[in-house]
Amino acid sequence: MSPTHSGSLEEFVPASQTELSRFMTDNAEAAPKQLFSVGGRTSLSVCCPASQSGTLICMSQLNRVIDYPVRDMTITVEAGMRLDQLTEIVSAEGQRLPIDVPQSNRATLGGVIATNTCGPRRFSYGTIRDYVIGISAIDGEGNLFKSGGRVVKNVAGYDLSKMLVGSLGTLAVISQVSLNLRPKPETMSMVWFAFESFQNADRALEAIVTSGTRPTAVEYCNSKAARQIAAESRSELPSEHQIVCVCYEGPANVVNWQAERIREEWKEFSPLSSQIVEAEKATRLYNAFTEYQTSSDDPVTLKAVVLPSQMMKFVEAATELNIAVQAHAADGIVFGHLPDSASSLEDVQQILKQLQKAISPQTAHLTIYQCESEWAESLPLFCAAPPGWSLMQQLKQALDPQQLLNSQRFAELVEA
Amino acid sequence: MVDSSNQTITQEAPPLDELKTGSPPFTSLVQQLTQIVGQANILYNADELLVYECDGYIVDKSAPDIVIFPISTEQISAIVKLCNQFNVPFLARGAGTSLSGGCLPIGGGVMIVLTKMKQILEINLRDRYAIVEPGMVNLHLTNALKGTGYHYAPDPSSQGSCTIGGNIATNSGGPHTLKYGVTTNHVLGLEAVLPDGSIIELGGPTAETPGYDLHGLYVGNEGTFGICTKAIVRITRDPESHRTMLAVFQTIADATRAISAIIAAGIIPSALEMMDHGIIQAVEEAFHFGFPLDAGAVLLIEVDGLEIALDEEVRQILEICESCNVREIQRADTPEERQLIWKSRKQAFGAIGRLSPSYCTQDGVVPRTRLPEILEFIEATSKKYNMRIVNVFHAGDGNVHPILLFDERDQEQIQKVLEASEEILEKCLELGGSVTGEHGIGVEKINFMSRIFNETDLDTMETVRNIFNPRQICSRDKVLPQHQADEKAGVVQSHPARRAPH
Repeated sequence: MSPTHSGSLEEFVPASQTELSRFMTDNAEAAPKQLFSVGGRTSLSVCCPASQSGTLICMSQLNRVIDYPVRDMTITVEAGMRLDQLTEIVSAEGQRLPIDVPQSNRATLGGVIATNTCGPRRFSYGTIRDYVIGISAIDGEGNLFKSGGRVVKNVAGYDLSKMLVGSLGTLAVISQVSLNLRPKPETMSMVWFAFESFQNADRALEAIVTSGTRPTAVEYCNSKAARQIAAESRSELPSEHQIVCVCYEGPANVVNWQAERIREEWKEFSPLSSQIVEAEKATRLYNAFTEYQTSSDDPVTLKAVVLPSQMMKFVEAATELNIAVQAHAADGIVFGHLPDSASSLEDVQQILKQLQKAISPQTAHLTIYQCESEWAESLPLFCAAPPGWSLMQQLKQALDPQQLLNSQRFAELVEA
Repeated sequence: MVDSSNQTITQEAPPLDELKTGSPPFTSLVQQLTQIVGQANILYNADELLVYECDGYIVDKSAPDIVIFPISTEQISAIVKLCNQFNVPFLARGAGTSLSGGCLPIGGGVMIVLTKMKQILEINLRDRYAIVEPGMVNLHLTNALKGTGYHYAPDPSSQGSCTIGGNIATNSGGPHTLKYGVTTNHVLGLEAVLPDGSIIELGGPTAETPGYDLHGLYVGNEGTFGICTKAIVRITRDPESHRTMLAVFQTIADATRAISAIIAAGIIPSALEMMDHGIIQAVEEAFHFGFPLDAGAVLLIEVDGLEIALDEEVRQILEICESCNVREIQRADTPEERQLIWKSRKQAFGAIGRLSPSYCTQDGVVPRTRLPEILEFIEATSKKYNMRIVNVFHAGDGNVHPILLFDERDQEQIQKVLEASEEILEKCLELGGSVTGEHGIGVEKINFMSRIFNETDLDTMETVRNIFNPRQICSRDKVLPQHQADEKAGVVQSHPARRAPH
């Protein structure tokens, strides 16, 4: 992916929330500059920010643990903490934040929240929105505000954390967060199945609804993506076929029982082959699925969110267009890396047009997830206005009236 | 989609008196509302309105001027537009089970009761969602799903009567939220009539929608962002099996140690409920479950999941309870025995009536590990005020419900309840907690908001509310203290015993 923020940029590295708040207040009151908050800079291309001039707010020093009452299974940290740091701290206590994050050795918690990044486990554990119990952030005028708190159950006031999750830093800079944690499971296994036909793969996915097992993740990839995932994970996936991969976590005996059971259950869908993958191999394969959404060097990555029952129709259309497709299949979330042959803006627009025919505009959403920055202004980020569009515009205007925060992200919001 | 920015009504509100019964504007409003819903779906006689003068929070009372029962989103939109035109406050009400005055019609006006909008519009197992109208009773959805292998997970104790629209308004919890989460974790999208009468959709049946998470922001707004007219909710696989236990402890300290140790062992029970000595006595006296009357605390522990996993979890729980000096453990081996154990929990409130003519239930939260401190404080408060306080609560979430027993005919006791409640909730804050875990702020706890949040926090919340509800005409004087008049319009207090004081 081509670099962004290639314009003239100063850097500001705050050492505290208060310092950041003061800086943003001063900025808003003086001749205001555009502000871009960054953590590990792993998602700069998400939702297509164009090159800009202004000030880069680097959150790297805001990475402290504020409070970790271990037995309460909550933690309060500054937003610049890297995910691998957080994982190490809570893992030592047998706990985890069950959110999958690509490039977790660089990605920061604030970035994960701002981009609502998640991976395969969302099927059983939800997304980061389900774990944020308190949040502090600074709006475009420099006002430091909070909502929620440090207890797992709390309905005092409006839940502003939901507003900020996935807001791409356009409403406020997230500075501190309290999280609910979960116990770390004893073990994890994956079972992959290779399918010849889209129809059989879809029937198997439908059977998840009534399976006697309780998967924590259900991943799908077409053969083009399977080749890349197999290479990345050094797995023996039969990558000339489509792969459905089912993941189980928990006590070893329960995981083993489920892995065997799903193989029995899915015999009727005629998989070409299947295999249980355990231990380190399972972790490698799992990580490859987690990383895949951001792993491509291709010029455009699409994200489609469709009903699970409609997913295979979309996947089939994408595969015909030579798109490498991975999906969190039980949730209907599909990532597609466009082929190298889509080398011009016109090619991409043509592909988008074809794909839109394969989704229901009433219930599905096709978005440009990442793309070359020079194409960003020409491609429609949302493809269609999402529900609540007018309210979103008003929120942006209210919290960032001078349009200072990441203003090229959600560009349609700013321009309205 | 209807753009909410096209408001044209900007005039100052006329004096509310002009709209009182018999006045020309009132008569005109009634006529026009009747045209929308028909004569059978509107009430405006004083005696009929009394039923709606409060919800489960009975301290403050204020009757609406008109109660109306719409049957469609379009009707609600038309009603709300009329209210704007007449500058009349309005608010929604479901079953009226709110415990914080969320349904209190401050300033009178029009109460829009949603109990006739109770249909299931769609159940989709493959895509794991249901679409329901807001007046749907919570339990009725799970009942409708019986046999499919799915259920609706949020289960407030009032689930047999409370509505899903109300659950969304207050972000309801319940006994099983420890494992399954609260309402917001199960709402995928919704349709709402905004306070200007426009109809809007937020979120949808898919796992996520692009842009800001407005349906997430909407959940828990306590009726101040508009009227939810349709909900798209996630449905959850039924667990294959349950194990339900009652663990009897000599002391509260032992019971709370067991709670933390169970969760620290990596087990997230589906429910972890505590009853203290006082409530055990009340329940035993009323229902004869066989609880030892001298026990300090009883824990109701339930785990669920795959059958193959449960025996090991139970073994670990038993071992932990033993290490925390458990006196005895009763296990439910049959569905009937499980039902009996749950009955002891769910009927606890019913048993309190035998102890005292009046009671006040609080809704504080502390970090789970601070439970011994708050319970000790509650006990000390009980002694300090010479007032009996019993506890039955969601221990796994740290959500305490101290129940203060008193006689409302005695003014001195009422004052003690006020002061004791104040001290307990303050202590919850001091221990890092909150003043409400699941009942909401409503009007009851509005004075605590400025103790939990600073001015900037509240200003930001107000900014957000103004986007949805710029004229403050919908569900007046709730949640945020800035908008509460010194004297709430038209509100009378019956007995102020449950009100959190200034």
